[in-house]
Amino acid sequence: MKKIISLFTAICCMAVFTACQKKSDHSPTKPDGKLDKCTLRFSWWGDDERHRATLEAIELWNTIHPEIEIVPEYGGWDGWTEKVTSQMSGGTEPDIMQINYDWLATLSPDGTGFYDLNDLGKQLDLSGFDNEVLSFGKVNNKLNAVTVSVTGRGLFYNADVYESLDTEFPRTWDELIELGDTFSIKGFYPLDLDIQSGGTAWYLAIVYVQQTTGRDFISMDGKLGFTADDIRMALDFYKKMEDHSVIRTIKTRTDEDGNAALYQSPEFISGNVAGVLEWGSSVGKYEAVLPEGSLRTGPFLTTQDGKSSGWMIKPSMLYTISKNTEHPDEAAAFMDFLLNNSECARILGTSRGIPASRYAFESLEQNGLLTGLAYESDSMLDGLDTVTISPYMELPRMKEFYNTAIEQVSYNLCDTKTAADEMYSSITDYLERMK
Amino acid sequence: MKHRQYKNPVGVGKYTGLLLISPFIAGFILFTLYPFVCSFVLGMTDYRSAGTPKFIGLDNYKTMLSSESFRKALSVTLKYAAILVPLKLIVSLLTALLLNLEIKGIGFFRTAFYIPSILGANLAVVIMWQYLFTADGLVNQFLELFGASPVSWYGDPDASIYIIIMHRLWEFGSTMVIFLAALRDIPRELYDAAKVDGCGYIRSFFSITLPQIKKVIFINLILQTISALQEFNAPYMITGGGPLRSTYTVGMLIYDEMFKYSEAGYANAVSWILFAVIAIAVGLMYLVTGRRERNGS
Repeated sequence: MKKIISLFTAICCMAVFTACQKKSDHSPTKPDGKLDKCTLRFSWWGDDERHRATLEAIELWNTIHPEIEIVPEYGGWDGWTEKVTSQMSGGTEPDIMQINYDWLATLSPDGTGFYDLNDLGKQLDLSGFDNEVLSFGKVNNKLNAVTVSVTGRGLFYNADVYESLDTEFPRTWDELIELGDTFSIKGFYPLDLDIQSGGTAWYLAIVYVQQTTGRDFISMDGKLGFTADDIRMALDFYKKMEDHSVIRTIKTRTDEDGNAALYQSPEFISGNVAGVLEWGSSVGKYEAVLPEGSLRTGPFLTTQDGKSSGWMIKPSMLYTISKNTEHPDEAAAFMDFLLNNSECARILGTSRGIPASRYAFESLEQNGLLTGLAYESDSMLDGLDTVTISPYMELPRMKEFYNTAIEQVSYNLCDTKTAADEMYSSITDYLERMK
Repeated sequence: MKHRQYKNPVGVGKYTGLLLISPFIAGFILFTLYPFVCSFVLGMTDYRSAGTPKFIGLDNYKTMLSSESFRKALSVTLKYAAILVPLKLIVSLLTALLLNLEIKGIGFFRTAFYIPSILGANLAVVIMWQYLFTADGLVNQFLELFGASPVSWYGDPDASIYIIIMHRLWEFGSTMVIFLAALRDIPRELYDAAKVDGCGYIRSFFSITLPQIKKVIFINLILQTISALQEFNAPYMITGGGPLRSTYTVGMLIYDEMFKYSEAGYANAVSWILFAVIAIAVGLMYLVTGRRERNGS
């Protein structure tokens, strides 16, 4: 029996190494330019509105191409990264996927993690996209993904609360700090930031520093642009917001909300917390829990001596095709339908933000669908000299570094200099390792 | 009376036994042994989701030793297990003693006490815990009734581990059922004889009940220790591991490294360390119990 177990163990080891070796040998199926009968899997994350609209769009596709069946796979954001990562590791990912911007850096660091869409020009029309927008999906000159929409985080306030306190939305950082003092007397907070998966606390702090110094936090090729002093300035600013009751301290927020997201927080729903920093494409969930028309877009904060706008944009999400798909032509045709088809664009509306494709944008414009907070916020961003977020900035490990530093500062476990020095060295080491 | 002749469809041969258990063997090899060996091999590789594994020997284990994050997660896990396991055994045993009484409607109470353990750490329970333990939650309101100051259950790193412990403590049903079954197996005559000899309830408990169920206590101790050291669900759902990683267990670390940070090699190495910790803990328990048995105590 011992011999059998030893033999089996050796076979297992060989099988593991062989399987690992085989993974890199797999070459993608070549396109043949024809649309054959097949079944494709399409996955996305989102809220109920996005699910409803996408399922309706798939129904429309089925009437146009009944021979190509689309099997939808969808869910909420929580755990979605983990799900896709597991699927990619096992080579069982869907044919077409909605992916997040930073996944390009982790899942396709050399451009071979996804299908090269440059090879699918026959089915996929990219003429409606700016070159800059297309560049977001390129890795090593391989077009791995196409941007669905471009978005940035904007400030949204509960107008009912602001009106009841007879105050206006802040325009400058100083006004924001002053509002904290005014609101706290009445037991309100003008804004709140989470440090969980979204990492908005660090985001706002680096916008402030980017404006002040004119330096970008991380470059597109993954180089840290901030010095340790810049990081310290960001942490000091964060602490100042807490000290002036602009935002709740982490302890207060955790005590009041537990592990719940801000839009589920009784404090936000009741109006005690009267503002939020959120992606234009995702603000709907905050809007939905407040009385209609309460949540409004606020101005992007500035400083008088600012060296740049500091505010950032990124592709809110991208569509990609699996390198393991056996039907690249059909997958590309479906992706083209999602991105460019005018009727599909009308059905999808702004459920994935303001479309980056000119054809989809025109369809929404003609149908009078370019309204709402996402559109207002993105239009305001268009007027600013924005910085494109580096895909490295949103990597989960990077968020861990931000959150650790902010938590330590918030809980007064160390001074901002120590936290900044630790964060600087962690980020530098990690970015070096990623290359 | 007519006797029916049954024919053995497979025949009784040298390998009949092996043939009959082969479905289990196949399942065990495929779903337990193979992943087990794979995990060990992958633990010695640098394997990120996008690339192919690169053999790096014991580097992952060296990284772990110098990792503050791993040390913190391990200490949280050990602290959690050290507090939860004895508490759960005591609460389960005391409840089992109560539910062993012959009173009217006992079936209802037995069911009611068991229900929490089938709920697990699901979303409904997480929301209920928020109503209970947030700043204005029911627990703090209750404490204030008695003049006690409210506790920062979620926000205080020293207190947050206790809301996870209380959650698991609330789910004592399975442990309690095992105790209850053992208690019902103790012959009534022993208690009757003890009563005649003038034994009270407490003396009976220590002299009859405990010795009679000591093997079951040991089984529950082992099961609960393993389960506590592997804890993942409750902290993941209730606190997300925070604040300041005060509820971040090794189970959560493995999950994050594997799925969030895509460090499959490191995650597998941590899994093996967790396996070793559990094996040592269980081994020590067997050693101590075996010695006590040999000494006749």
